[in-house]
Amino acid sequence: MILSIEELSIAGRDRTIVDNVSLAVREGEFMALVGQSGSGKSLLSQSIGQLLPPNLHASGQVVFEGSNLLERTPKEMRALRGSRISYIFQDYQGAFTPFRSIGGHFDEYQKVHGEKSASVRKTKAAAALESVGLDAALLRRYPFQLSGGQLQRAAIATSLLLSPRLLIADEATTALDSVSGHRVLELLVAKQKETGCAILFITHDWRHVRRYANRLSVMKEGRIVESGGKHRILDHPQHEYTRQLIDAAPVLSRSLKSGLEEETP
Amino acid sequence: MKSMPVRVRTRPSKSKKHSVQAIVAALFALLVIAASVYTFLYLKHDPTLTDLRGRLLGASMLHPLGTDHLGRDVLTRLLLGGGQTLGYSLLALGAALVIGIPFGLIAGYKRGWVDKLFMRIADGFLAFPDTIVAIVLSGLLGAGISNLVLAIVIVKWVSYARLVRSTVLSESQKDYIRIARTNGLSDARIMIKHLLPHIAGHVLVLASLDLGKIILLISSLSYIGLGAQPPTPEWGAMLNDSRPYFQSRPELMVYPGLAIVSVVLLANMLGDYLRDRFDVKKEVQP
Repeated sequence: MILSIEELSIAGRDRTIVDNVSLAVREGEFMALVGQSGSGKSLLSQSIGQLLPPNLHASGQVVFEGSNLLERTPKEMRALRGSRISYIFQDYQGAFTPFRSIGGHFDEYQKVHGEKSASVRKTKAAAALESVGLDAALLRRYPFQLSGGQLQRAAIATSLLLSPRLLIADEATTALDSVSGHRVLELLVAKQKETGCAILFITHDWRHVRRYANRLSVMKEGRIVESGGKHRILDHPQHEYTRQLIDAAPVLSRSLKSGLEEETP
Repeated sequence: MKSMPVRVRTRPSKSKKHSVQAIVAALFALLVIAASVYTFLYLKHDPTLTDLRGRLLGASMLHPLGTDHLGRDVLTRLLLGGGQTLGYSLLALGAALVIGIPFGLIAGYKRGWVDKLFMRIADGFLAFPDTIVAIVLSGLLGAGISNLVLAIVIVKWVSYARLVRSTVLSESQKDYIRIARTNGLSDARIMIKHLLPHIAGHVLVLASLDLGKIILLISSLSYIGLGAQPPTPEWGAMLNDSRPYFQSRPELMVYPGLAIVSVVLLANMLGDYLRDRFDVKKEVQP
């Protein structure tokens, strides 16, 4: 168990947004967290890295590699973020600071996480770009000189740069068309196989869940209504809300909802 | 059918006029600075040496702009005064920036109670009009150019803090700042390396527009005796000195007056140009 969230609540001054949620992510698995907009799934992901807005407060436990992250100091969290836990967001266009070169970003992330040698940083940055299928020459370019697809891959490369154990993808494919979305996920899954990191994938898109997830949790109005293996939930949903969500998602194939072929008698 | 090439204008058409203005302004600024430095290095006349036998002389080879009521060379005082006025204005502006920028950065980036506290402090300072602060300060601490600079800093830093805060407030919501945080960068690093360069353009524009106002303020307060004290050469003070001789030697007031007008104009032209250059709102999207 790499991450285990226990009875986590996130509250503002006058209302509770995430209510008593428990969730576990196992070593090296692809875990999906599904829910509509406003169900609190993004806040849940932000609370893992202590990234909540200042007016929200998290209580409960977020146990990562055996220690409660909610009790860590900001400095310890900084050391953890980007190296052990990293994030991917939906907006690739704005993922890089506009007036800094792509290489500058790779360099800075390694520098703040303690890599002192400039030549090592450079080699690692080039290797990271090449591992997502981009030319290392892009390091000298500025964000506006890259195409959307290149930015997307480069952003994923920065997240994976320091080999995190947990990758949190918050609506990482929402802004993309379905072909690009699948391409990003293929890349993530391939990288996951290479590095063995766990992925917490937050989405409202069933197509991706069906194809890539090992397990999933369904969230509604700040609570988790159902958790379990993909096939169990998609083919035999227990909760009324899950059933509604699944029915609302279009399926073109004649197979079962989870992608398994139905046995013909 | 061949399509017509579409010409896309990325800047407003005014910019050509403004870039000419900027060149003129820059040349003039260089001239003023060079003249001040030259006069300082090769003083022909002591700017404070009084010579009562040679007072109120007309133009001559020895005194190209004549002498004032105490027999001091007007050209020397005018050129050195330029250095004084510009120097103190830049000092006041610099100090306002040094206080205002970090203040606004922290308020806008931290949000929450830090922001509220910082902005209430700024609002408090905003409540004082500049001339009142200058008069009160010189009443409390005595008249003098350094107290005048202090008064200007007290009044001016707030506008920079507010400008920086509002820019940072919107900018720090963008994904690249969020991603910088999720990648473990410290707040200080994000503010200095990822936010500061972004606001530099906006601040530069406001600062150059403010420069003219500050020069005017220093001159006008020196004119009423709250700034530079005699015998320091300063344009506003020179205007005041030559007031009693307005009937007999009006040019004694014209010289410093012209100097003030041209330098303020210069600062405004520079500000206009920079605004065209940096203001994203004015740029036409291709």
